[in-house]
This record gives sequence, C-alpha cells and structure tokens, in this order.
Amino acid sequence: MERNIRKIGLVNLWVLLAGATTSFVLARLSASFAGQTVSVFIGLGFLIAAVSYFQMRLEERERLERLEFDELAKSRGGSALFATEEAELFAARRSREQFERFMVPAFTVILFLLQAGGAFLLWRWLEKSSSAKLAEPLVAMALFGLFALVLFLLGKYSAGIARLEGQRLLRPGASYLLLGAYLCFVVVASVAAVEAGFSRVDVFAARALCVLLALNALETMVSLVLEIYRPRVKGQQARLLYESRLVGLLSQPEGLITTAAQALDYQFGFKVSETWFYRFLEKALAWLVLLQLGALLLSTCFVFMEPGQEGLLERFGRPVEGRQILQPGAHLKFPWPIDRVVRYSTQQIQSFNVGFIPDPEREKESTVLWTVPHYKEEFNLLVASRDSEAALATSAPGEQAVPVSLLTVGIPVHYQISDVKAWAYSYSDAGQLLEKIATREVVRYLVGVDLNEIMSTARQQTAEVLRQRIQDRANELDLGVKILFVGLQDIHPPVKVAPYYEAVVAAIQEKEARILEAQAYSSNQVPVAAAKAKRKVLEAEAYRARKVPLAEAQKARFTNQMAAYEASPTIFSARSYYQTMARGASGARKYILAATNTQDVLNVNLEDKIAKSLMDSAAGLSTPGAK
Amino acid sequence: MKKSNLSLLVGFLLVIIFGLLLFAYQVRQTQVAVVTTFGKPTSDRTEPGLYWKMPWPIQKVYQFDKRIQNFEEDKFEETFTSDKKNLLVRVYAGWRIIEPRVFLQRFANGSVQEAERTLEGLIRTEKNATVGKHPFSHFISPNENDLKLVEIEQEILKSVQERAKGNYGVEVRFLGIKKLGLPESITQKVFDRMKAERDRLVQEYKGQGESQSIIIRATADRERDSILAQGDADAMRIRGQGDAEAAKFYSVFEKAPELALYILGLNALEQTLKERSTLILDQRTPPFNLLTAKPEAPAKK
Repeated sequence: MERNIRKIGLVNLWVLLAGATTSFVLARLSASFAGQTVSVFIGLGFLIAAVSYFQMRLEERERLERLEFDELAKSRGGSALFATEEAELFAARRSREQFERFMVPAFTVILFLLQAGGAFLLWRWLEKSSSAKLAEPLVAMALFGLFALVLFLLGKYSAGIARLEGQRLLRPGASYLLLGAYLCFVVVASVAAVEAGFSRVDVFAARALCVLLALNALETMVSLVLEIYRPRVKGQQARLLYESRLVGLLSQPEGLITTAAQALDYQFGFKVSETWFYRFLEKALAWLVLLQLGALLLSTCFVFMEPGQEGLLERFGRPVEGRQILQPGAHLKFPWPIDRVVRYSTQQIQSFNVGFIPDPEREKESTVLWTVPHYKEEFNLLVASRDSEAALATSAPGEQAVPVSLLTVGIPVHYQISDVKAWAYSYSDAGQLLEKIATREVVRYLVGVDLNEIMSTARQQTAEVLRQRIQDRANELDLGVKILFVGLQDIHPPVKVAPYYEAVVAAIQEKEARILEAQAYSSNQVPVAAAKAKRKVLEAEAYRARKVPLAEAQKARFTNQMAAYEASPTIFSARSYYQTMARGASGARKYILAATNTQDVLNVNLEDKIAKSLMDSAAGLSTPGAK
Repeated sequence: MKKSNLSLLVGFLLVIIFGLLLFAYQVRQTQVAVVTTFGKPTSDRTEPGLYWKMPWPIQKVYQFDKRIQNFEEDKFEETFTSDKKNLLVRVYAGWRIIEPRVFLQRFANGSVQEAERTLEGLIRTEKNATVGKHPFSHFISPNENDLKLVEIEQEILKSVQERAKGNYGVEVRFLGIKKLGLPESITQKVFDRMKAERDRLVQEYKGQGESQSIIIRATADRERDSILAQGDADAMRIRGQGDAEAAKFYSVFEKAPELALYILGLNALEQTLKERSTLILDQRTPPFNLLTAKPEAPAKK
C-alpha cells in the first residue's frame, strides 16, 4: 500500500508538471491572461508536490530503518549495538528530522517569495496589458476543459486516498490538482465569456487569481511566523508548513459544508444534517447545479433588443435568411454557440471630434479664450494663406517661404448608422474609418481656403461643406452611415499666436477710438467757431447800432453846448469841468496832498494790499505829507 | 439516478462538449479561414458556416477578418516636395485579405500586425516618392486650380496597389492623406510670420486711426479758423460802416474845434475815471483848491 501511495504521489508530481507546462504554452498561444495565471498556480503545485514527495520518501526510509532495527534487536537481544549513539543508528530518521527542521522552512520561505513575487509581477503585467483578442479560443476551451477533467479525476482520487489512508503528505499535491481543475474551468468560462462579447472578463479573472495568489502568500507568511512560536511536543507530528489551508478549502469545499453542518448540529441541539431538507440538498446539489447551467444555456435563446438598437443574427456564423436584422423587442434564437447576435446602436446619435482631444476638467470652464488652451490636446492644421502667397511673389524662387498658416479647429461630428449590414460587414472598424475620413476631409478643405476667409466670411458655409463632403465620401465607401451634423464650434489661430490676433482687434478699436475723438473735436470746434464769428458780427452790429445814434446825439448836444458856451464861455467850461470831476472821480480813490511843502518826496505804494493798510492809517497819511 | 451515474453523465457531457470544440469550428460572415494539416494549407473557407476538422495538432484553423481593415501610419514623416520644401505627411489606408492562403504563408501565422508593418513600409516608400514629384502648392494653396491632393492620393494608391498585387494576398482599396504638417522649426517660423502679419495689421490700423484723426482735426481747425476769420471780417466791415455813418455827424465839431476838443477831453476824463483809479491831487487842483481858500463865497459884484 505504501509503495502504491508513493506511486500516486509521483503521478501527481508529473501530472502537475505536465499541466503547468502545457497550460502555460496553451495560454500563451491563445493569449489568455487567466490561463497564464492558472499555469503559475499549477507550477507552484508541482513544487509543493515535489517537496512532499521527497518528504514521503524520507519517511518511507525511516519506516524501513525502524523495521530493520526492530528485526535486528529481536535477533541479537541486548548487545553492543545499543551501546552506540542513537544518531548513528537512525540515519534515515536523522535525515528526515534535518529535512523537516531546515529544508521545509527554507522551502516555505522560497514558496512565500514565489507566491508574493508572482502575485506582484502578475498584477503589474496585467495592468500593462489590455484585453487582447484571443487566438484559437475554441481549442483553448477544449484543452483547458480536458485538463480540468484530468486534474479533477486524479485530484479526487488522490484526495480520497489521502483521507482514507491518513496520508497527510499526499494531501498538498491532491489539493493543488483539484484547485488546478477548478481554475481550468474558470479559464474555460472566461474564454467563453470573451467569445460571448465580454472581452474584459479574461483580464478580470486573471486579476482575481492574482488576489488569490497574494492571499495564499499571506497565509504562507502567517504560517511561517506561527511556526516560530509553536510549542514543540516530542512525538507530536508536525503539520506540513507548506500546506495551504486556503487551497485545501478551495479544492475541497465539501469539507467546509461538513464543518458547517457540524456547527449547525451543535448550535441547534439536534442533527440538522439528518433532516430531510439537508439530505435532499446533499443529494440534489449536483442536479441543481446542472439545472442552473441548463437555465443559463436556455437564457441564451432569448434576445431582448433595446430601443434604438438593431442586431445581426448569425447561425453558425452565417446570417439567418429572413431574420438577418433584429429590431427592438423580444426574439427567440438557438442557444449559444449555434446562434449569435451582434448588437448595434443604430438609432442612437454617435459622435466624435476632429482636431482636438477633449479635456473633461477644462470643459467645466465657463469662458473659452483663444489664448488659453481649452482641450487636452489641440492639433495645428495647415491652412492656405493669401498674405504669405502675396509675399512670395516678391521673393526669389529659392528663398520662398511656405505659404501657409496654422489653425486650430474643434469640429464635432454626429452620425447615425443607416445601414447596419454595411456598417458591420464591410469594415472591421467602421467608426474608426469614419473618423479618418472626417479628418481627411477637414484637412483637404483647409489646405484650399484662406485663413482669414475661413475665420470670417467662409465660416458659415464651411460646416455644411464639410458635412456634405464627409457624407459623400462615406457613401462612396458604402459605410452605411448618415452624417447628421458637423459643427465648427471652435476655429481660431494656435494659442501661441492668438494674442497677436487679439491685438489686431484691439488696434481696430483703437483706430475707431482715435477717429471718434477727432470727430468729437471737430464737432466741438466748428460750431463754437461759428458761434464766436456770429458773436463778433453781432458785436460789430451792436457797435454800429450804438455808434451812429450816439454820433447823432453828440452832434445835437454839441450844437446846444456850442450855444451855451458862446453865451458864457468861462462858466460853461468850469461847469463842465466840475460836473465831469463829480461824475467821473466820485468812484475813484483820491489822495490829496494838502501840504505846502511840496519839495518833499512821498513814496506811496498803490498796491491793493498796501492800499488797505494805507486806509487803516489814513489819518496819519496827511500828517507826514502835511509836514 | 445514482450519484456515480450522475457524475458519469456530467463527465460524458463535458467530454462531448470539449470534444466538439476540438472537432468543429465556425467561420463567421466577416471571416475567412485557412485549414492547415500538419502545417500545410489544405483548404480555404471563404463562406460562413459550421465546418469540421481534425483536432489540433493534426489540423489547425487560421481565421482572418475578411472585411476592410483600417491602417494608419505610426509615424508622421517628414519629406521633401519637388520645390524643396519640407512637409510632414501621414496617410491612412483601407486594406483587406483577398487570398487568405497567400496571406498565411507571407506573414507568420497570418499575423495582421506583421502584415501592417509590411504595408507601412510599402506605403511610406510610395508616399515619399510621390510627394517628391509634386510642388508644395499641390498640397496647400488658396488657389483651387493648384491643389492636387486627391490626384496625389490616387497616385500613391496606384503605386501601392501595383506593388502589393499578387505578393501579399492583400488588396489596398483606398488611401487618403490624413494629416499634413511642418517640422517644428518651420512651424515656429510660421508662428513668427503669422505674428509679424498681425503686427503689420496692428500698425496699419493704428496708422489709419492716427491719419484719419489728424485729417479730421485739421479739417475742423480749418473750418473753425475760416468761420472765425469770416466773423472778424464781417464784424470789421460792420464797424467800419458804423464809423462811416457816425462820421457824418462829427462835421459839426468843426464849427468850434477848441470847444469840441475840450468836451471830448472831459468825456475821456470821465470815462477814464470810471474804472478803478487812484487820484493823487494837490490842493491846487480845482475844486480841491477850495481846501486852502477861506470858506466864504466870493463877494457879490
């Protein structure tokens, strides 16, 4: 029996090695991330099975040595043999003890490093990898399924033998065989999901397996730490340090169910595990799982097309006659993989952008300025320039500059799929092609128009011309698409030169301001001058109007004065003089020098402020003058 | 059913399913397939449907997308036009597999990436050769007659098609210029030129503003001066008329010139003293001479 168990251990070892190698090669060929991750698990299982097999052989040698020793002891009785050192007598046992003391912990440390490093590196690798297209998915599913069956059968057998015979060293390898089987089923399911259109499932499954590997590493580390503090009792068989409880639980979940049943029995005080329901569940669990799988397969017979969608129905890859396009609503079909439906949103408006890559953060900004980048990336497109071309005419042929300017445009394009068959069956990626066509038409349009024209007068018509050109080209290529809208939401010089364009606008404003200022000046000066001229004329007229009658009056008066003068020349003269003095000098300030000594020189300051002080000392003024 | 029978049934079903997967394959409407037996291509499947095969590794099925696939150059490549101007050109193309067996043989495992790499080499070569035959104005010009972009695309396509024909199992259906550009150093110079153009416009508008302002102001000044001069002239003429008309009445003064001068002097004195004036008089000035005389009236005669 012991020999048989060693054989089983050896078979497990080689099967795990073969499984790890072939699953890795197959996963690489089919580009399955989950498959490659599973091969790491099976590879680790091989290492563990190898160590446990080695340990199994050491224990076998020790058992034989013990038997041999017992035989010798019986035949010789108490002899000098017992006088020798025990260590010399039990070399195999010493080897086994040395192995358990040093090699097993060392291997467990290496195992931990492999598990942790593997989890880390696999996670990094998966982060960099995108969901690639699977190669030969059907072959991958078939072979992984067969691996799973082989591993499962062998694992079940080994686990049963280990449990029945109490062979603890057979248990780790058996657990990894079963785990490998379940994980191979996971790979089959993930490949099927990818084929069904859920392309990320393979990566997600691979990441989940990475997490499992990391947990396994954590468990190994905890086991190592606990081993240091474990009390050593002589004669007590040590637990295998490299054996994972987690792997054991995953590979033999029925153990968990049994434990749960025992816990329920204990908790409720009666044998729950003996109730009809529990027994029914135990018997029918496999059927229930099968039923579930059947229901899952049956569910693939129903298709519900959402509003705005159309689906292409294919049977064994061939379009189904008469039912090629499924409209919104419920439809029946054969189960996967016989029938397959590919959905397209035909009524939904789809869009893309030409000339820029939007930036969700900057889209929140309420002001869009030429001088501030408002997209994640803005492309400078070449546009013809009449200004440059005019400059070229004056240059020598070899020295001519390129007659171009650069322009940044933001052009959203909205479209609808009008012919789903043409869209799906003519091009591998019709959406991407439409973007290329639109970009090409924008480039073709810009190279033939002048920068200043497109930014001003030609702007309105540009959008419509572009829409028509993109539609024409799409029709020419039978793309099955209707271009609904092409917008010219943004068209301006690149950010680097945009301030100079704004400076031109500022200069135009400045020019207008200068002209308006001059017009204001003109508006002020001319009417004021007219008014002044008018005033002068009127003053002159007033002068004339005053002058003539005054002269006439003077004549009349003089005639009368002459008569009076002739009558009394002296009196007339004196009277006239005094009247004049009385009228004229009444308002004047007068200083009268009443002193007789007229030889004195008087200094009189006639400035107003001085005059005031003079007024203050008016009483004293005549005094010095008089003196 | 016993549990062992159930396990057998499940196992049997699984073996059937996985076996079917090994023996059958589908070719979709969008695909073509080549079946190889021990590595040798033995049959092509161009029609969609379910087909049978011997299991791997005896027979292997290579499935290809038969639809038109997009290709775009990775590199935005600089090249020379016939008039020695640098230009960056990137093209895209639509190609499809027309001979799957040839395609499988020419490219390792029928690798589409490998095929696109080969196609890129072909397209780049023909593109650069074609661009070198055309002047810059065929690519960019405000004059519609100069532009030959579509013709250039057709030239490149024709050359690529001829090269690819029969050699690679693929057909290039169409080709377009997706992007045109200038090298960074030239782009910077174009920016400088655009700035200079704008600066010229700025100066032009400023000059126009200044010039029109000066003209408007000068015109206003001229009009103002003209109006004022006219006003002065009119005023002077009217004053002269007034003086002339007044002079008719002054002839009366000739009858007694001494008296007239005396009265005019008095009038002038009165007018002069009306404004703020200060008189410094001595006691001899009449009527202030009365200040020194005795305050009595002259005796009656």
